[in-house]
Amino acid sequence: MTSERTDTALRHALTAPAAELRSPGMHDLGPDEMRRFRAVESRFLEVTGRAGYDEIRTPTVEPLHLFTGAGTLSPQMLDRVYSFLDWDGWSGERVVLRPDSTLPAVRWHEEQVSGQTSRLCYVQPVYRFVPGGGQREQWQCGAELFGLDAPEGDAELLRLALDLLAALGVEGVRVDLSHTGLVRAALGAAGLDAAAQLATLDRLLDGDDGAIQEVIWARPEQAGALRVLFEIDGHDAGYLANLRAALDPVPGAAAAIAELDAAAGVLGAAGAEFRVSAASVRNFEYYTGLTFRALAGDVECLRGGRYDGLAETIGGSAVPASGFGADIEVLMALAEGGA
Amino acid sequence: MDDGIRVALPRGDLRAPLAERLAAVGFAPAGYGEGSRAYRFSVEGRPRVAVRVFSDEDIPIQIALGNYDLGITSRSSIDELVTRYGHDSIVALRALDVGEARVVLAAPAGTTLDELGARRPLRVATTYPHITAQYLNWLRVPDYRLIEVWGQPQAWPPEDADAAVLDVPAGDGTPEVLDREGLEAIAEVHRGSAWLVANRRALGEQDLREVLDALLELPARPPAAEGVQYGPLRPTPLVLDRRSVEARVNGFERQDGALRLAVPDGHAQRHTVEALATAGIAFEGYDEQQAVRRPRSAIEGVTVKVIRPQDMPQAVALGRFDVALTGRDWLATHLAAFPGSPVVELCDLHRSRYRMGAVVSEDVPAENIAEAVAYWRRDDPGRSIRVASEYVELADHYARERHLGRYRVIPIGGASEGFVPDDAEILIEGSETGTTLRANRLRMIDVIMESTNCAIGSTVRPPGARGDLRDRLVERLAAAAPPDDGGGPA
Repeated sequence: MTSERTDTALRHALTAPAAELRSPGMHDLGPDEMRRFRAVESRFLEVTGRAGYDEIRTPTVEPLHLFTGAGTLSPQMLDRVYSFLDWDGWSGERVVLRPDSTLPAVRWHEEQVSGQTSRLCYVQPVYRFVPGGGQREQWQCGAELFGLDAPEGDAELLRLALDLLAALGVEGVRVDLSHTGLVRAALGAAGLDAAAQLATLDRLLDGDDGAIQEVIWARPEQAGALRVLFEIDGHDAGYLANLRAALDPVPGAAAAIAELDAAAGVLGAAGAEFRVSAASVRNFEYYTGLTFRALAGDVECLRGGRYDGLAETIGGSAVPASGFGADIEVLMALAEGGA
Repeated sequence: MDDGIRVALPRGDLRAPLAERLAAVGFAPAGYGEGSRAYRFSVEGRPRVAVRVFSDEDIPIQIALGNYDLGITSRSSIDELVTRYGHDSIVALRALDVGEARVVLAAPAGTTLDELGARRPLRVATTYPHITAQYLNWLRVPDYRLIEVWGQPQAWPPEDADAAVLDVPAGDGTPEVLDREGLEAIAEVHRGSAWLVANRRALGEQDLREVLDALLELPARPPAAEGVQYGPLRPTPLVLDRRSVEARVNGFERQDGALRLAVPDGHAQRHTVEALATAGIAFEGYDEQQAVRRPRSAIEGVTVKVIRPQDMPQAVALGRFDVALTGRDWLATHLAAFPGSPVVELCDLHRSRYRMGAVVSEDVPAENIAEAVAYWRRDDPGRSIRVASEYVELADHYARERHLGRYRVIPIGGASEGFVPDDAEILIEGSETGTTLRANRLRMIDVIMESTNCAIGSTVRPPGARGDLRDRLVERLAAAAPPDDGGGPA
């Protein structure tokens, strides 16, 4: 029986096209790619280790409610996770292949070192469905900082991100900044309640730019503030001054702009180019403060931000927290010759 | 090579109104409108056209796979597939003026959406798991569990679920199917009518005019009235304070002290009534003619509810029922999916006997499944074997156990005998006498199990009086079961 099965499998292997033997969206890393992977990984661990970050690794399979409960994933992402009923899933409680590493890190922090400042980093894959030939398993590296508030925590992470990219030899880096608190404050001032804000940002995430236009036309008295925020990308302190002027009467705006200002100061001091772009926020519900993404040319190489309050959504403490993550294979491509 | 044009049409409620409209545009599959039991039809004056009848929910996947070039199916069935799998191989060509229906979230009258969203977990019985999950994600429900049922999700609330997601006819007011369960539609989740759909590759590469010319003449659905939207409906998100996390509860724990018994409706009802009657048990509202949702029991401490037999093993595993009268086939299917499930057969009722097995075409020259597989792979050793079944987990388990190698399980909703040989090599199916199989030129090549009806319960005996009551009930049923003659079905 065994030999018959082996024979069938062998014949199959010899005759089937290679691509059919691999699941769609999954790929191998050959010896050369693994050498480059390890080079990026070791640079990442060196840089984060020097800054006091300790490595953790979290389970591949997690309960789905960990992610739905905390609201860390947008509905668009929740529709693309690998969820299934485990062999003991008769209760209907689904599990999921880890779609994101931040929340597992938050859980680890709360379970193991709650109440303390902690600096954690990880290198592990996440799984998200991508139609067609896109990669569904992505190896990510990331850093999470618990216990340090804005603007000090934001500054530490921005410096760490720049150090990492410099260590990898990535050139021509630009950082986009945004602030979810500012976006919320502006939409709130335009008369949108929390539910309407979510609905508008859902449409933005779906690429529907008309969502903001509808708000602007409905509230022309707020047009100036909304246009400066959503339609203009600022590159220097002048833009932040204009933003402050346009959003001056909006409650909560001043503190958010001050945090943006501090972040711009860190980037300026490091000689990094930056742009303030409100629409660059990608996960409105997850983040609470400053958000950033670094680009090399048109390629996004890492993304992160502040997510105070996330630990509370899983029953943990009210801890300030922020972090960033990067796709290792993107870093491998950018670090050609540098890693 | 000209393979002709393959068209998939639905059976069920859509069949009669659709047949009328097809005839009016000169496309009349002979016998389709009369509700013939046949699965395949030719179309008068169109020799290149082959029509196959499917359960409505099976048509989108057949079109997506390219097994059929054109089809007519409900928008909800299309979206149930596309929502999860994002198939761009299905092209929706025309909304038709037939089969307008809504999918609603229903809950006990007076319940609000905010109340439902705040439950941890929110338990929702549904026959549309993908549309439902997407809707709850849009709504930002923090913690939900879907109870994926075979049918009648409206039977679950309020005691066994918080809400149900199900089809109801289009129109205002509380539909009768909800009203008689004390439920009302809290929100609309989806709205749609029947659609003409095509396989993208067939549209790009094949001359389909012979059929398209007629089907594109079918009357279209009128434009949507103001404020009416079609497809999956995006709700306004609930704004919940996610930080106020209460301790998560099991969600299925019971507070009542009564012994809960589940009895089936449908095909299994007659055999169950017989089994109960022989044991001297009768419930008011549950006999061969009727099955009210909650029959009245004269046995003190016993409450009775009617649900689908397919859903009983899960309901018992969840702790919702102490005893359920179902089929061993459904218990085996459940345990194939969840080997650790705390459900066990308490006694065999020895009725409703039939064989479950692997069914193949009579034309396959093989004595056993290994020979059949070798025959199918004689020219292509890497060929994937298609296994169609309503018993998805059992079919998957069978394919692994018999070492089929590369295989694909095709979940189906009915009209099963029509799948072999064109759309599947193997059908995992039950047969009482073999008559239907023979009529469709099929035969059972491998018997998986002999199924009878049985009483099932938890592996853990209920505590106290409830446990004593369960023991006595099972003893009575076992004593009244006919002797196992070992003969089995033909």
